[in-house]
Amino acid sequence: MGLDLEAIRSDFPILSRTMDGGRPLVYLDNAATTQKPKQVIEAMNSYYENSNSNVHRAVHTLAGEATEGYETARTEIAAFFGSPRDHLIFTSGTTEAINLVAYGWARANLSKGDVIVTTEMEHHADIVPWQILSKERGIEIRYIPLERDTLTLDMEAFEIAVTEASLVCVVHTSNVLGVRNDVERIIELSKSTGNDGEGAFVMIDAAQAAPHERINFVELGCDFLALSSHKMGGPTGIGALLVKPEIMASMDPFISGGDMIETVTLEGSTFQKGPQKFEAGTPRIAEAFGWHAAINWLSLLDMKEVHEHVSNLAKHTAAEMSKIPGIKIYGRHDLDTCSGVVSFLHEKIHAEDLAHLLDSGGFAVRTGHHCAQPLMEALGVASTARISFWLYNTQAEAESFIEYLTDIVERFS
Amino acid sequence: MTYWPPPLQQIIDEFKDCFDRMERYELLFDYANKLPHELQTKDWNDENRVQGCQSEAHVECILDENGGFQIHGAADANIVQGLIAILAIGVDGLPPSQVASLSPTFVDEMDVKASLTPSRANGFLNMFEMIRTTASDMSGV
Repeated sequence: MGLDLEAIRSDFPILSRTMDGGRPLVYLDNAATTQKPKQVIEAMNSYYENSNSNVHRAVHTLAGEATEGYETARTEIAAFFGSPRDHLIFTSGTTEAINLVAYGWARANLSKGDVIVTTEMEHHADIVPWQILSKERGIEIRYIPLERDTLTLDMEAFEIAVTEASLVCVVHTSNVLGVRNDVERIIELSKSTGNDGEGAFVMIDAAQAAPHERINFVELGCDFLALSSHKMGGPTGIGALLVKPEIMASMDPFISGGDMIETVTLEGSTFQKGPQKFEAGTPRIAEAFGWHAAINWLSLLDMKEVHEHVSNLAKHTAAEMSKIPGIKIYGRHDLDTCSGVVSFLHEKIHAEDLAHLLDSGGFAVRTGHHCAQPLMEALGVASTARISFWLYNTQAEAESFIEYLTDIVERFS
Repeated sequence: MTYWPPPLQQIIDEFKDCFDRMERYELLFDYANKLPHELQTKDWNDENRVQGCQSEAHVECILDENGGFQIHGAADANIVQGLIAILAIGVDGLPPSQVASLSPTFVDEMDVKASLTPSRANGFLNMFEMIRTTASDMSGV
């Protein structure tokens, strides 16, 4: 049947905004953050207008409503990812979720001589915490390279490296290349051959996958799944780490203080069990309401159709862009698994100049290293320009982007 | 109306005549090719790097044989190189004391600032301050 794009777009107030010269906004920076449907904005406003209160504390009506809303959000968001509510720890986003694995789990469970396997394709959020840990604890990091001709992970190298790995940390879908890694095989290999056959723990960064692919944490079989709300229609400032309960029990608190304790005396403290142990202080209550609304909104759609839509837009646009003289595309848009991301460069026009010129036509695109400098080095570039589609983008927008880019190249190269 | 050195005033007038933002970008690209004193890539280093620009931009200031101010610079992006060129042409050969007293508001008069994102505008202002401070040091102002 396909997505009803008119109905979808009518839920996003910002998409009717006009830009310089009266041009319509064509928002193509969804890999950085998506726009928010009015249901999310209304849920957050409604919380502040009607139920604003702190959670887990007072007995008054507002506190009860805030607590119920916050904990219902946990239940529903966890369920969206095929998981019971006690698996979900709220964080500020994917970066904090990965840091929680590094500070909360790895510090308590890894030691000198242990090996962490990650990849050249990672976002800095999945590199820097391990480098800090490595320096502090003498843990070895092994990076799986990118095959330069296929722009996919070198799985032969992975099969060798994983045998000695205690922890495997891999991005589900690249924020630069739009390539979806074979995470199912990575998890299977990690569990069957990792850590000398005892099985390695696996952390998957799903920030770029969750907006267009339904992920079932329990079925996937990894130990940690890191997520961001704002890349899937929800507000900024909130995300989650999904963790198996038996592993959560072996984690130390990352941030400590109020709300995460059972008792505190001057001699010491005891901690809550489960996710609350890792949610010290007043949490992101309005943001949880907002993310819950985004999940409810997304649940009305068939995520397979969402994936097909963004993937087809990326495939078509990449194919047409590659016909423009001087444009080079970075990614595998021949694969059905590709996301909505298209990274590109022009041989003469600097990426940042391209972004300014495109902005003058109302096209919001991103330039830079995309927090993936090792990947940039592997590609042999300092930065790229990047467009990224989400479910509200249309074929007409893709066509107008291609036309405008063609004009720019003719005029400025 | 602020007084600008004649070469700079001429450039300001050129930009004022532009029809739209795209035409201003075209003019900036033209100026990028008119750098009077290009700083070769081999001479790019951390000391002459302009902070606040997303792209690589490098600027050095010297005095010519007549004691006039000279800007040597370059960037890997045309828009920022165009901005360097405008400054370099606009103040070329002026006494450093005059350069030290310049205001960065000429970009507002050119209506270029509206064409720049905050990071680029900040990069421009950082570059301008770097040049003005050097001019001030050279003139003892």
